[in-house]
Amino acid sequence: MRTRVFLLIAIAAAAVVFAAARAVSNDYVFFAGYTVLQFIVLATAWNILGGYTGYVNFGSAAFFALGAYSTVFLHKTYPLPIPVLIVIGGAVSGVVGLGMGYLTLRLRGAFFAIATLALAVVLQTLVVNWDYVGGSRGAYIIRPNEIALIGPYIQYLFLLMLALAVVALATARGIERSQLGYGFATIRDDELAAEASGVPTLRLKLVATTLSGALMGMAGAPFPYYIGYLQPSSAFGLEYAVNSIAMPMIGGTTSWIGPLIGAILLGTLQQVATVTISSAVNLLIVGLLLVDFVIIAPNGIVGLVKDRQAAFTTMAQPPVFSLLYILNLLPMYFLTGQGQAAQSIDVVFWAILLFVAYTRGGLIGRPWLVVFPAAGALLGVAPVSSTTPVIGTLAAATSLDVTAVVLAAITVIQLIGLVCGLAPKPRLAEAPAA
Amino acid sequence: MSGPILEITGVSKRFGGFVALDGIELAVAAGERVGLIGPNGSGKSTLVNCVCGTLANETGSVRFDGQAVDGLTTHERTRRGMARTFQLPRPFATLTIADNLRVPLLYTVNARSGSALAPTALDARCAELLQLVGLADKAAKLPRDLTQVEMRKLELARAMAAEPKLLIADESMAGLSQSEVDDIVALLIRLNERGVTIILIEHIMRAVMKFSQRLVVLVSGKKIADGSPDAVIRDAEVEKAYLGQ
Repeated sequence: MRTRVFLLIAIAAAAVVFAAARAVSNDYVFFAGYTVLQFIVLATAWNILGGYTGYVNFGSAAFFALGAYSTVFLHKTYPLPIPVLIVIGGAVSGVVGLGMGYLTLRLRGAFFAIATLALAVVLQTLVVNWDYVGGSRGAYIIRPNEIALIGPYIQYLFLLMLALAVVALATARGIERSQLGYGFATIRDDELAAEASGVPTLRLKLVATTLSGALMGMAGAPFPYYIGYLQPSSAFGLEYAVNSIAMPMIGGTTSWIGPLIGAILLGTLQQVATVTISSAVNLLIVGLLLVDFVIIAPNGIVGLVKDRQAAFTTMAQPPVFSLLYILNLLPMYFLTGQGQAAQSIDVVFWAILLFVAYTRGGLIGRPWLVVFPAAGALLGVAPVSSTTPVIGTLAAATSLDVTAVVLAAITVIQLIGLVCGLAPKPRLAEAPAA
Repeated sequence: MSGPILEITGVSKRFGGFVALDGIELAVAAGERVGLIGPNGSGKSTLVNCVCGTLANETGSVRFDGQAVDGLTTHERTRRGMARTFQLPRPFATLTIADNLRVPLLYTVNARSGSALAPTALDARCAELLQLVGLADKAAKLPRDLTQVEMRKLELARAMAAEPKLLIADESMAGLSQSEVDDIVALLIRLNERGVTIILIEHIMRAVMKFSQRLVVLVSGKKIADGSPDAVIRDAEVEKAYLGQ
C-alpha cells in the first residue's frame, strides 16, 4: 500500500519536474536533464545488485549498450515506438543479466567484478564486428523533429526517461521494504548464514542480476534516438561503468534515495562541467568526489546523515585531514577563470572543505578552523574578490592579473588553515577523542 | 516419527589428502539431546557442514525426517526443519537484531507453512524470541553493538526462529561465563522439551554432561564412542584420545 503512495508521490514529483523543465523553454534543459535522468536509472539499477545484494558490477555499460543496440537493430529491421523498444531492450538485457548471473554468481568479490568487466569487453567486440548494427563505424538513427501532443522530440525522450526513473525508483524502494529486500541484504552480509536461514541465495542473486540488467537495458534503449549517431565507443563508454558505481557510492548504497541523490549531484555537476569546461573534466570531478566520499562517508551521503561520528573519527588522523584539505583545494586552480558556471562546481568542493575543517576543528578544540575555507570560498566564488580594494591594489602593485592575486591569497589562507589544523597544541592531548 | 530424525550413514569427506570425515555412522532419534565432542580438528564442524549441506559429502548419505537430503541445498534443508548455529557467529551485519530474526521467519517459516505471517505476527514472534534469549532491549540495535556473548545468543535465536525439528548448536557457548552457560543449557533443554531434537557440539564438558542424554565422540574424522555420557567419558579409548594426557 505504501508503495502505491510512493508511486503517486514520485509521479507527482516527475510531473513537477517536467512542468518546470517546460517552463524554462530551452531545449538544452531537456538534453541535460535526460542525461541526469538516465543516470538516475542506471545508478538505481546498479544499486539493486551492487548495493542491496553486494555484488559489484563493472559491466554496467554492457547492459546499457545492449539496450541501445537492441534499438538500433530493431530500427533497421522493424521500427517500433520507443516505449516498446524500452521494454524489448529491458528484456534483452534482463536475459543477458540472468545468463551472466547463472555463469558468474558462483564467483565472489573481485572475481565477480572481473567477470562483469569481461562481459562488457566481449559484448563490445561482438558489436564492433557486427556490420548490421553499424560495426565500428556506428549507426545513424534519424529521429523526427516533432512528436504529436508533446512537441519537440527531445521533450518526448525526456518524458520517457522521467517515467523510467519513476519506475526504477519505485522498484528499488519496493524491493527495499519487501521480503526480497531482506533476502538481498542477507546475501550482502553473509551468504552462508543466509542459506542456513532458509534464503535461496542463488535464486535471489539471479533475480537481482536480471532486474538490474533489465533496468540498465531500459535506460539504454532510447539512447540511440537521443544521441542520433551511436558508435560502440559511446555506448560502451567508460563513463557509464564509472558513474553507475560512483553515484550510488556517493549517495549511499543501502537505500533507494542514495543513488537518486548521487545521480542528481554528480550528473548535474558533470553536465555543468561539460558545458563550461570540457567533458574530460567530468571524470576528474567524479574521481575527486569518490576519494572524498570513500574517506569521509564510506556509506555515502545517506550514511553520513545517519551517522556523523564516523566522519569525525577518520578526521582524527592528521594525514587524512591534510590529504582531504589539499585534494579539495585542487579543483580551484583549474576551475577559476572558467566562468561563472565553473565556479558553481567549485562551490561543492568548498562545501566539502568547510565540512573537513568543521569536523577537524571540533575534534581538536579549534572550532574557528572553518574560518579559513569560509574566507577562501568567499574570495574564490563570490564576486567580491575583484571588487575588493585590497585585491585591486595588490594586483596593481605586483602587476599581476586579479585572478592570480586572488588565487595566491586563497592559497596562503588555506595553507595557514592547514597548518592550524595540524599544529599540535598542549590541550590536544587531553581533548576528548570523540 | 518412530524412526530416527537424522540418519547419517557412511559419510566421508576429504580436503585434498586430508581425511576430515571417515565413514561416519550416526542416528539421532526424534526428541533426543545428543552431545558431540572431540578434539579440535576432529571433524565436528565438517560433519555439521555435511549434514546441513554447506559441504557436499563424497560418500555416504544423510537422511532427515525419513527422506534422503543428499544434493539438497542448505536452504532447502533448513526449510525441511534443520537449523544450525555457526561456531563463529555470523550475524547479518547491516540488519537490526530484530530483522536478523525476521529473515528465517520470512524465508523458512512462511515458506514452509505456505501462508504468510502477518507483519504484526512477525513482529510479535521476533520480540518473543528476543525475550527468550534475553536480547529484548537490543531489538533495534545492529549486531556490531552486541558483545560476543550476545552475538552467540543472537545466533541461537536466529536458528530457533526457523522453528526447526533439529537444531545443531556448534559451540554456541565458547567464551561464556558459568552462569551464562547454565542459561543457554537451560534454554536448550526447554527447547528440547518442546520437541526439538538437539545436537550440541561443545568443548565445555560441564555443559555437555549436563545437557546430553547421549554422547558421541569424534576423533580424527572417526566416531570412536557413542553411548550414555557417563559410560563414554570412562571409555579408555576416549580418555586416551581426547581427555587424557
